[in-house]
Amino acid sequence: MEPEQDFAEYRERLLTGMRAGIRRSACGAADPIQVFVNQRLVGLLDRAEAEATLQVQSQTQIDSVQLRSEDGVLLGGLSAPEYGFRSSRISLTRATVELRVHNTTQGGSVRAVCIPSPSFWHRTRRALVGVADSAAPRPVAFAGPGMRAVAFTQVLLAVALVGLVADRITGWMTPVRPSLSVTQAEVPWAAPIGEVTKLEQQLVELSRMQAKTVETIHTQQQGMAQLQRTMAKLSSTQETVASSVLTVKQEMEHRRKGAGRDAARMTRVIMSRAHSEQEQLEAEIHSLTVANDRLSKEMADLEQHNQDLKKRLQSAGVDVSKATVSDRETPMVARQNRALQPPHTSQMAEARPTSQQPPVLFWGTFSDGASQESLDQGVREMRGRNGTRSEGWQAVEMVPPVQPMDRVLDQITQTTIVKAVRVSRR
Amino acid sequence: MTPGVQPISSRTQTMPEGIAGLGRLEQVVLTAEEFDRVVSQALPILLDRAASSTKRFLRETGQWSDDVAHEKFVLRWGAEYLEQFLVCGRSEAPCRPLFLLDSMVAKQHSRSEPFCYHPDLLTPLGRLIDGLVGRAAISRDALIALFHHCYGLGPGQVITVLRLNGSESPRIYKNFQRWRDSGWKRTLEHIGLTEAELEGLTAQQQQQRHRFNRDAEHMLRVAQAHYRKSEPDHDPCLSRHQWADMFRQGYGIEYRIWHLALCLDCLHTAWNVGLDGASAIDKPHVVLQLQP
Repeated sequence: MEPEQDFAEYRERLLTGMRAGIRRSACGAADPIQVFVNQRLVGLLDRAEAEATLQVQSQTQIDSVQLRSEDGVLLGGLSAPEYGFRSSRISLTRATVELRVHNTTQGGSVRAVCIPSPSFWHRTRRALVGVADSAAPRPVAFAGPGMRAVAFTQVLLAVALVGLVADRITGWMTPVRPSLSVTQAEVPWAAPIGEVTKLEQQLVELSRMQAKTVETIHTQQQGMAQLQRTMAKLSSTQETVASSVLTVKQEMEHRRKGAGRDAARMTRVIMSRAHSEQEQLEAEIHSLTVANDRLSKEMADLEQHNQDLKKRLQSAGVDVSKATVSDRETPMVARQNRALQPPHTSQMAEARPTSQQPPVLFWGTFSDGASQESLDQGVREMRGRNGTRSEGWQAVEMVPPVQPMDRVLDQITQTTIVKAVRVSRR
Repeated sequence: MTPGVQPISSRTQTMPEGIAGLGRLEQVVLTAEEFDRVVSQALPILLDRAASSTKRFLRETGQWSDDVAHEKFVLRWGAEYLEQFLVCGRSEAPCRPLFLLDSMVAKQHSRSEPFCYHPDLLTPLGRLIDGLVGRAAISRDALIALFHHCYGLGPGQVITVLRLNGSESPRIYKNFQRWRDSGWKRTLEHIGLTEAELEGLTAQQQQQRHRFNRDAEHMLRVAQAHYRKSEPDHDPCLSRHQWADMFRQGYGIEYRIWHLALCLDCLHTAWNVGLDGASAIDKPHVVLQLQP
């Protein structure tokens, strides 16, 4: 064979095969269907089952779905969208396959459902009961028994109609049949005229009855059609009412939920505000408590310090008293100097807080022979200063002594130039 | 180019017809029914278009040679792409059919190994083996028939080798029967192997049986390695222990059928497991069967 001819025949065979399509498949109506996703076999749809379903999830996006018979013929398919849904119905021999593809950014999924086509007798039965009429609305649930009765009546009417038509046809065919029972018994032209007339009358009457029956059937059919229309209208009205009720319910629910949501939101706001205020108060209370504790502690420290100071003051007073007793024999000037001398450095340091106290004021009278210079010197030795002079009493201000005031005044009184001292004006 | 083989696009249609057909295919079709109508009237143009794209791909990848074998190769794959286009393209409506075909073919060619190309597979023997194994990737009948054409096993022996149970057995017989009835003939038509070429192969096998089967085994391994990858889940080979475990516990039916039909080494391994009286049959080796 020439290469050109061989090639042309090959090409023509391929084209013929493509034109034949799914008719090339030799598989039966009950044989399984292979499902390929992205040209990989993922499963089978078993047509022997009532409604075979195959669900496939993929982590990669789905590009195509193909249905093939077991002998490899491509029966149908679907090109998947890059994103979203796509569905397709593929009609096969005695079955329909519904394909549904869904692609997302995370991957894809395929659902294939094989629905067997109803058989001829099933379709006929459905046609007879009037269910197969897709134009007619589906009866609502409450009208089920009524519709079944109507369907049954329709079947009865149809059977009666078929019977009548068959009878009529038989009547029409009767004269031409040579084997009629009438002609078997007696030859027509040999029958009496009366019998023939009677038969004709019976035929006429039968025809009239048939016509009446047909008319009745027609009327009943019209009535049935009207009844169906009424029921359809009724069901549509009921559906409208039901949908209205549903809408109202949804609206009410929506509003209720909306009001509830508002109240809940307000409550949440108030609660959160109260909560924050409570937290703020707690924080303030806590800080106050901490401050109070700190103050209490400081106060305790101060009291302790005060006690220590008092103890030291007392011990210093005792020391001074002892020192005074032991130095009783020393000259008065020297005793005055010691008494008026500032305390030791340690005592100064301890007494430093008392220097801040106001000066002590007392009044004194002096000997007649004491000069002003000796008086001033004595006052300086007491770390004091002269104040006003009134009625022979000289006011003297001095730094508050560490020793008790009585003892200090006694010491001052014992000096030679001082006659008397007092702490008050009178 | 081989003498006597003209460019495919110029053989069946005159230039004005082709231009008019192309013009119709470049227009938008709005519905699936319109898509069916338009493409069914332009199948030759679309076939030539798909074949030309495949030829261009082979040229660009340095795999093209001007001979009948290459022309048949691109025509076969062009028809494969066109068939998928006819079925899946209608769901893309509204679309421009010609450009949709171009995009679908380009998408196929963008895969790492769009088809099994090997110079040895362009001989009549190679085309037969490539066609049989390639068909097995999409047809259960062809997959089961590989056990017969490659190793000479009948349906009962296939059931024994695969350790299938009773429920799977009728299906194997059915696959064999359908393959003999129609599958074999359709596959030969699809790969473009003529009766004369088949008779030539038969004569070769009778004259040089050993060499013929050795060449067949070499080509079979090339084709099996390529097409086995189209089912990644069933591609990996198993160890002897794993095969024994699988047969003993009875799982992996689909894996067994797919992998053992497309892997000679694993078939030998599984055979050596020696369960259920499988050793009563001779160890399978490549003896190409040229009749179903």
